[in-house]
Amino acid sequence: MNDSIDQQPPQWPIKLMRHVLNHDYLEEIEGDMEEIFLDNMERYPEKKARQLYIKESLKLIRPQLLRHFEGRQQLNTYGMFKNNLKIAIRVFQRDKVYSSINVIGMATGLAIALLILLYAQFEMSYEDYNPNADRVVRITMDYLDGETLVDQDAETYPPLGPKIKEEFSEVEEFARTYGLGEITLNVDRKNFRESKIYAADPSFFEMFGYSFIQGTAEGIFQDPMEAVLTEALALKIFGSTDIIGKRILIPDMEQNLNVVGVIKDSPANTHFKFNILISFETMRTFEEDIDNNWDGNNAYTYLMLSRAHQYPAFKSNLMALNDQLHELDLINSELVVGQKIKDIHLYSDKSFEPEQNGEATRVFFLIGVALLVIVIAIVNYINLSTAKAMDRAKEVGVRKVMGSSLGLLRFQFFTETLLVNFIAGVLAVLMMVFSIEFFRNTAALPDSFTFLDQPNFWILLISILVVSTLISGAFPAFVLSSYQPIAVLKGKYAHSKAGVLLRKALVVFQFAITVFLLVQTLAASWQLDFMRSKDLGLNIEQTIVVRSPHTDELRGQFNAFKNDLLSQSTFESVALSNSVPGLPTSQLSTSTGINLVEALEIRNFNFYINWIDEDYVKTMEMEFLAGENFLSGSPNENMIIVNEEAIRLWGIPSPEAAIGKKVQAWGEHRTIIGVLKNYQQLSAKSNYLPVIINYSNEFNSYVSIRTNSTDVKDQLRTVAEVYESHFPNAPFDYFFLDQEFGKLYRADEQFQTVFGLLTAFAILIAALGLFGLASFTVSKRAKEIGIRKVLGAEVSQLMALVSKEFVWLIIIAMIIATPLAYMTVNNWLDGYAFRIDVTPWLFVIPALGVLFISFLAIFSKTLNVATANPVLSLRDE
Amino acid sequence: MKKTKLGEFEEMVLLVVVVLGEKAYGVEIKRELEARLKEQLSVGSIQSALKRMEEKGFLNSVFGEATNKRGGKRKRIYTATPFAEMVLKELKEIRAGLWEAIPTTEVALKTI
Repeated sequence: MNDSIDQQPPQWPIKLMRHVLNHDYLEEIEGDMEEIFLDNMERYPEKKARQLYIKESLKLIRPQLLRHFEGRQQLNTYGMFKNNLKIAIRVFQRDKVYSSINVIGMATGLAIALLILLYAQFEMSYEDYNPNADRVVRITMDYLDGETLVDQDAETYPPLGPKIKEEFSEVEEFARTYGLGEITLNVDRKNFRESKIYAADPSFFEMFGYSFIQGTAEGIFQDPMEAVLTEALALKIFGSTDIIGKRILIPDMEQNLNVVGVIKDSPANTHFKFNILISFETMRTFEEDIDNNWDGNNAYTYLMLSRAHQYPAFKSNLMALNDQLHELDLINSELVVGQKIKDIHLYSDKSFEPEQNGEATRVFFLIGVALLVIVIAIVNYINLSTAKAMDRAKEVGVRKVMGSSLGLLRFQFFTETLLVNFIAGVLAVLMMVFSIEFFRNTAALPDSFTFLDQPNFWILLISILVVSTLISGAFPAFVLSSYQPIAVLKGKYAHSKAGVLLRKALVVFQFAITVFLLVQTLAASWQLDFMRSKDLGLNIEQTIVVRSPHTDELRGQFNAFKNDLLSQSTFESVALSNSVPGLPTSQLSTSTGINLVEALEIRNFNFYINWIDEDYVKTMEMEFLAGENFLSGSPNENMIIVNEEAIRLWGIPSPEAAIGKKVQAWGEHRTIIGVLKNYQQLSAKSNYLPVIINYSNEFNSYVSIRTNSTDVKDQLRTVAEVYESHFPNAPFDYFFLDQEFGKLYRADEQFQTVFGLLTAFAILIAALGLFGLASFTVSKRAKEIGIRKVLGAEVSQLMALVSKEFVWLIIIAMIIATPLAYMTVNNWLDGYAFRIDVTPWLFVIPALGVLFISFLAIFSKTLNVATANPVLSLRDE
Repeated sequence: MKKTKLGEFEEMVLLVVVVLGEKAYGVEIKRELEARLKEQLSVGSIQSALKRMEEKGFLNSVFGEATNKRGGKRKRIYTATPFAEMVLKELKEIRAGLWEAIPTTEVALKTI
């Protein structure tokens, strides 16, 4: 791109200004705006300068500066527009039911679609805050077993970053971050248990575009034990951000952190969020040779390319590097792969991701649904206006006789559509304002998620309104204006076959979508119930999990603590473990390449590792298929317990056969002493994980406590008291196992809620549309019904007569929707490791529901006419 | 004050025009006022104040030179009319009078 094009302000606001501003002021204002824009280009990134320009140009629209529209040349059209608007308002007021159906349908549709689109936009905005985002890549590890991919790990070996920077010419800088888990911090003798703490290289701040509130990025992180806090954490533990040079004690290490800076909080839309960054030098005090450690891959490694377009070159260099590493025998059965950080949130789902990521398919699916919602709303409008067409026919005839041109008639109908859309737009914004809180909670969005102050939102709203006005206004504008005046004035309503057919097709379309969405919602809700009620292979009820105090304290006091609890009859068992089910995979450890000693072929499966004490299996109510538990009072050296999935991977035919077999792990032989029935470490969405369990009664992170009392909350108080009496220095930090497990289903719950709302909307619209259609048919056939009644027809016969035509349409809709719904539901369920079967009920229930609702809509209208005195309809003329 | 009213914001803009003298054009006025008020102002608000005051007879304006930075568009230089200067002085005197009329005890009380 050359510079002179680069320096141009955005074009459309200029056009807008030229169009609306008073021409006498134009040269001056345009010049001013351009001068300010160029100043801003120097001060801010280009994107911000452009946004400011757009904002400023929109703020120019104020009465003092606008040109006078009621000018000489334009007088005529303006007058006509005023007249049209007046007529439109009168038409709108004349039939309030009809108008409100139109407006409510359009407004709800708009509000729902806009909320979904904003959500999608948020999901796609990850890392946008970072000016370097398009040239920062993350490298990760792929684990292979032969040619097949077994697992992907977001963390890499610490030496990789420096090595790649040295050898790749296109890599400008590297930054590693090293997760330190949860740490207790002590400030002014108060303890704070904090998570999201990472050791990071000094280059991190610039690469990720963080600006300092206190301190500077220059020259920091050269020494161990330096820390940079986020603003929120600084305020939480110090009550101030003016804390450079203050110290934070880490009781577990008996060392102090020096605060060298305070930076802005991680934005909501980044895949890497943190509370504290500690200098990477600190890691060297634990492990001097960390830059040569090819044994443990626990560092996230980010690389910054000089230019974004060098990514393909970087990837091919990476392949060469892999060959080199294999030759040097630094890695085996592993590949270093790269990904752009902008792709992480939507496309990356590896083990040990720092945060729960989103899913691109889900986002695109929702965008599709949002568009569908708008289409439904537009269809509803067209549908109702065709139904209304006959009422307007006479008006069209008279206007034509009075000399109105086709163009003017069309203009009038467009004005009416515009009015409906405009009111719907205002109403939609109001609906959104009132529902944003609910929406934020449902979709787990941050509080900073707003829309009224976002120019994108207004652009989106206006463009949707323009498009929907054009499409939905086209039918009345072109069909209604084409009536022949003589025919309509004589009272011969041209029953256009095409019109009737179009209307029927639209109804079929609406109902097909409704059935489709209902099936989806029902399937989502059944699947969720299924997963919740599925046998987990363990019992998560009535279990309190407390984060354990650090090792020294634990060693001395744990038994006393345990006995104190067990002496009360309400507690059944107390156990230690390194991890518990329901925690995300990032809280587990993994090891690859563990094989049976007797194995002929070395395979590279990825195993999840846990450490437990002898009471853990009992506390979790897991089940042994063969073998036995760890012994109490013994170190249980070189003994392991595994689960069914692990022995399946090793190719052992039965649990019994596994007992006594030895595996080669961590440079030692370990004997399998027990096989556990598979249990759900994660939600039922993912399959059973292969697990290897070691014994430990010292180095453990969690204390699980099973109570037999149903009032778990009450028991919590007892646990807290006992805990604090034994571990006075450790913060009491707990969760209920079933609630923690429930969090795994949050994404599914959100999905279900969003879908439920959409379905409710689709039903509402379809019912409104049907109601409108029924009223139209009934009013056209009022005379016929009257005559039939005089001749002795029963009310029920009359109802059947009118309903028949709609029932057919609904049945056709179902026939169309069912196979489509079957395919998508099946496809969607395939994403779950444990899923429900697709049964006929999944389709019958929505079908019956839709039929029931449509009968309500039709009956409410036909009953009126069928029970009315026939004299009324027959005398009308 | 006379029939023609001068709003608070308008008064500020007018004063800035007087202060800047020959340099008084849109962007410069905005810059100066932002620096003094310590807040961001939009082009729209400044421009509409200028146009309003021109209509009310507080300001005169002529086209000035064009610079490259403005894409070849000319600046419009504003000058205050004698009437405006009179009104400004009047306003200042009214304010000064009011300040003096505050009972000294009140002021003393406030500072305690």
